[in-house]
Amino acid sequence: MNSLWMGLLVGSAVVAFFTGNVGTMVDSVLGGATGAVALMIELAGIYCLWMGMEKIADESGLVDTLARFVGPMLRPVFPSLKDRPRPLSAVAASIISNVLGLSSGTPLGLKAMKEMKNLMPPGAEEAIDPMITLIVINAAGFCIFPSSVVAIRAALGSANPAIIAGPTAIAGLAATAAGLTVDIALRRGRQK
Amino acid sequence: MKVIELLGVYVFPVIIVAIPVYGWVKGVKVYEAFIRGAEEGLRVVFVTLPYLVAIFVALSCFRSSGAMSLLSRCLEAILAPLGFPPDVVPLLVTRPISGSGALAITAEIMKARGPDSPVGILASILQGSTDTTFYVVTLYLGSVGIKRGRHALVACLAGDLAGFCTGYLVWRVMFR
Repeated sequence: MNSLWMGLLVGSAVVAFFTGNVGTMVDSVLGGATGAVALMIELAGIYCLWMGMEKIADESGLVDTLARFVGPMLRPVFPSLKDRPRPLSAVAASIISNVLGLSSGTPLGLKAMKEMKNLMPPGAEEAIDPMITLIVINAAGFCIFPSSVVAIRAALGSANPAIIAGPTAIAGLAATAAGLTVDIALRRGRQK
Repeated sequence: MKVIELLGVYVFPVIIVAIPVYGWVKGVKVYEAFIRGAEEGLRVVFVTLPYLVAIFVALSCFRSSGAMSLLSRCLEAILAPLGFPPDVVPLLVTRPISGSGALAITAEIMKARGPDSPVGILASILQGSTDTTFYVVTLYLGSVGIKRGRHALVACLAGDLAGFCTGYLVWRVMFR
């Protein structure tokens, strides 16, 4: 993360110097910082809503039920969570939300990260395998119906706004499969 | 396809009602539980903010300095001879780093060329083929205070690449 961040900043500064975009870059630094805060404020309500719902589901035993049903399906991809029903069900809830296109995908994903953090030795700063796998699946963002794109297509007068849903789903599946392949190949605990 | 669309409309309200009702039946103090969960949500927002500011600043530098359009032009030189529409190249570069930026580009392409034009359809497919990788990686790792993501970014970018290639191939077969 360190070298990526430095690379982006220094690389951009060099290019800006040569293209004469230094002025716009200075403005955009402030815009980026403000934009990050604005986005999180916008999302704060959604996070509170879904984390609140998750807490109710958790205390009523719904989360454990989910883990029992979906857990076995996820186990091949998350071998290290085999006997960890809590993180496993949080992972499952997040992935299901994303596939259905619900706004709960990200807040529940972060909940799952927190559950997995509990499996780490205190003070550890390096991501563990199942965390990376969850990130890979959610960053590929496979969704059965790409509602935001379809909505824009409809608004722009498309004769068939949903025609892209099938191809999009195929591309999303391919992204998930490729991401998982690379992840599994680079995993540390593969032989365990 | 209608079924999936309807599913998208009804799943949300059903879940919002079903979870509290189920909790109530099971004897959970639902209101108190909700508040405790929501507090946790707020804490997540707070914890992740510094990480997001860092990555947003770096990425907006990347965009505004002209480095991104430089990368986009390089890609165009490689992809255009392969039959990839040059209008859509900026979307490839933007999609992993900015969700709203990519959506704006997709909308612009469709406005200029029509949503049902081949180029408009390709942009729509690529827009939906993957999520905003840099945002997801930063947010997820940041929320638990992890600074070293190991191979997370590489695997995610490999996924993006595969999603784009597959989306493009499907588009070539179906819409050209």
